[in-house]
Amino acid sequence: MARVRARTNDWRGYLFISPAVLLFLIFIAGPFVAAIVLSFYHWDLLTPAVFSGTDNFRALFSDPLLWKVMGTTFLFAFASVVTHIIGGLLLALAVNRAMNKVLSYLVRTAIFFPFIISWAAVALIWKYVLDPTFGLVTYYLAEIGITSPQWFTDPHWALVGIIGIDFWHTIGFTFIIMLAGLQTVPKTLIEAARTDGANSRQVFFNVTLPLMSPTIFFATVITFIGAFQIFEPMQIISNGGPDDSTMSIVMYLYQTGFQSFQIGYACAMALLVFLVIMSVTLLQFIGARKWVYEE
Amino acid sequence: MTTTTVPRARRRIRIGSALITLVLVVIAVLMVTPLVWLITTSLTGTENAFSVPPTWIPRPFTTENFRAVPDMIPFGRMALNSLYVAVLSTGGSLLVSIPAAYGFSRVRFRGNQAIFLVMLGALMIPGQLTIIPVFILMNKLGLYNTLAALWLPALINVFAIFFLRQYFKSIPRELDEAARIDGAGHFWILFRMIVPLSGPAISALTVLGFEASWNNYFGPLIFLTSPEKMTLPLGLVTLQGGYGGGPAVIVFAAITMVVLPVLIVFLIFQRYFVASIATAGLKG
Repeated sequence: MARVRARTNDWRGYLFISPAVLLFLIFIAGPFVAAIVLSFYHWDLLTPAVFSGTDNFRALFSDPLLWKVMGTTFLFAFASVVTHIIGGLLLALAVNRAMNKVLSYLVRTAIFFPFIISWAAVALIWKYVLDPTFGLVTYYLAEIGITSPQWFTDPHWALVGIIGIDFWHTIGFTFIIMLAGLQTVPKTLIEAARTDGANSRQVFFNVTLPLMSPTIFFATVITFIGAFQIFEPMQIISNGGPDDSTMSIVMYLYQTGFQSFQIGYACAMALLVFLVIMSVTLLQFIGARKWVYEE
Repeated sequence: MTTTTVPRARRRIRIGSALITLVLVVIAVLMVTPLVWLITTSLTGTENAFSVPPTWIPRPFTTENFRAVPDMIPFGRMALNSLYVAVLSTGGSLLVSIPAAYGFSRVRFRGNQAIFLVMLGALMIPGQLTIIPVFILMNKLGLYNTLAALWLPALINVFAIFFLRQYFKSIPRELDEAARIDGAGHFWILFRMIVPLSGPAISALTVLGFEASWNNYFGPLIFLTSPEKMTLPLGLVTLQGGYGGGPAVIVFAAITMVVLPVLIVFLIFQRYFVASIATAGLKG
C-alpha cells in the first residue's frame, strides 16, 4: 500500500500549490500564531515587548467596557440574524409568487442594489437620512404624526438605527440566497401536497420550510459571522457613542490595537472574537441536527 | 356548492397576490428613496439642498457640487488607487488560487488532503485576528501607507481555492486522462481544458473579489494615511470628517460619484452578479 502511494506521489503537485502555501504561511498561519504569542506580551510598538503571562486575558475579564461591548455586539448580531432571516424569507416568498416579469425584476433590483454599495457610502448617506433636522426619516415620520427619535444622540435608539441601516444594506444578500433556495424546492412536491388537500399554510410549514432549512441554516451561520464583526457604521456614523451604546467588539479592538497601540491586549481580544465566532458556529452546527432537513 | 366556492377561493387568491404585489412595490420604493434623495440633492444648489420639506426636483439645478469635489480630495487619484488595488487583488488571487485548486483536486502528492484541510480550517479565522501581526509586518517591510499593504495580503484567498477545487472536481477526470494519453502535460490540461470549462466559477470569484476590494474600508483605514494614497471609501469618509458641518452637498456629490458608476456596472451585469452570489452561497 505504502509503495503504491509512494509511486503516485507526483512532486509537481507541490509546484502548483506552493505560491498559495507560501502566501498562506506569510499572511494567515504566521500572523495567527504571532497573534497568539503577542497576546502574552505587553507591547506599544515603540518600547520593546515585555512578557506578561496571562495578564491580558485577566484584564479582559475585568474590563467592564469589554462586557458592555460584547453585550452590544451579541444584541446586534441576534437582531441582525432574526430580521435578515425572516425578512429575506418573506421577501423571497413574495417575489417568487407569479408576478409581472418586469415588476419582479424591478423589485428584485431595488431590494438587492444597496448590497453592492460600500459601507462607507452607505453609512454617510444614512447619517444624513436620519439627521434630526433635515433628514428624510425625521420629516416623513413627522408627517404621519410620529416624532422621530434623536437617532444618534439617544443611547436607546442609536443601536436600533444601526440595525435598520444594516438591514437596508445587506438584506439583498439574504434575499438572493433565499430566492435561490426556493428554486430548489420541487414544484411537483408542492402540487402533490395541494392535490392531497393541504392549504397554503400547511404547504408552507410542512413542505417549503423543511426543504428550505439547509438554505436557512447557511444564511443564519453566514449572517451571524458577518454581523458579529460589524464595524463600519459604528465607526463612521456614531463613533461608538452615545455612551458607548454602539461600540462593537471589532470597533473596540480597532481602538485598542490601532489607536492606543496596546498590541498585546488587542491580540487577546481578537482571540476572544475568534473563540466566540467558532463556538457559536459550532453550536449552530450541533443544533442544526435537530431542525435542518437533509436529503 | 362547488361552483360557488371555487371562484370565491380564486378571487381570494387574486386579491392576495395583488396585496403582496402592492406591499412589494412599497418596499421597493422605500429601498430606492435614499438613493434618489442622494442624487437629487447632489444636483441641487447649496441654498436649496437639504431643505425641509425635502425637494425631489433639483432646483436650482447645478453640477457645481460635483466640480467642487476634486478641490477637496484628490478624487481621480483615489479612483485610480481603488481600481489598481481591486485589479491586482482579484487578478492576483486568481493566479494563485487556480493552480492551487488544480493541485489539490487533480495531482496526487503526499500531504495533499492534510494541507488542504489546514487551509480550509483557516477560513474560520476572522480577519481582525491576523491583521495586527500583518500590520506589524507591513511596517517592518516599509509598506505602511502603500497600496501594496492592501493587495499583497489579498493574494491568498482560501475561499477561492476551496470554491475552485469543488468546481474542478465536478469536471470529469476522463477528460484529463484522454488529454494525457494524447501527450498533454499538467499545464496544458489546466490552462487549455480546466480553466476554459470553469468560466462560471472564475467569473463569480472575479465579481465577488472585485466588489470586496472596491468596497473595503477596514484595510485602507489601517494602512493608509495620506490622501493621495487612499482608496475611494476611505477618501469619502475623510472628506466628510474634514468638513464637519460644512457643505454636505459636496459630500453628497462625492458619494454619488462613487456610487453611480458601480450601480451602472451592476445594472448591466445584474444577472451575472446575482448568479455569482447564489452559486457561491449554495455551494459554499
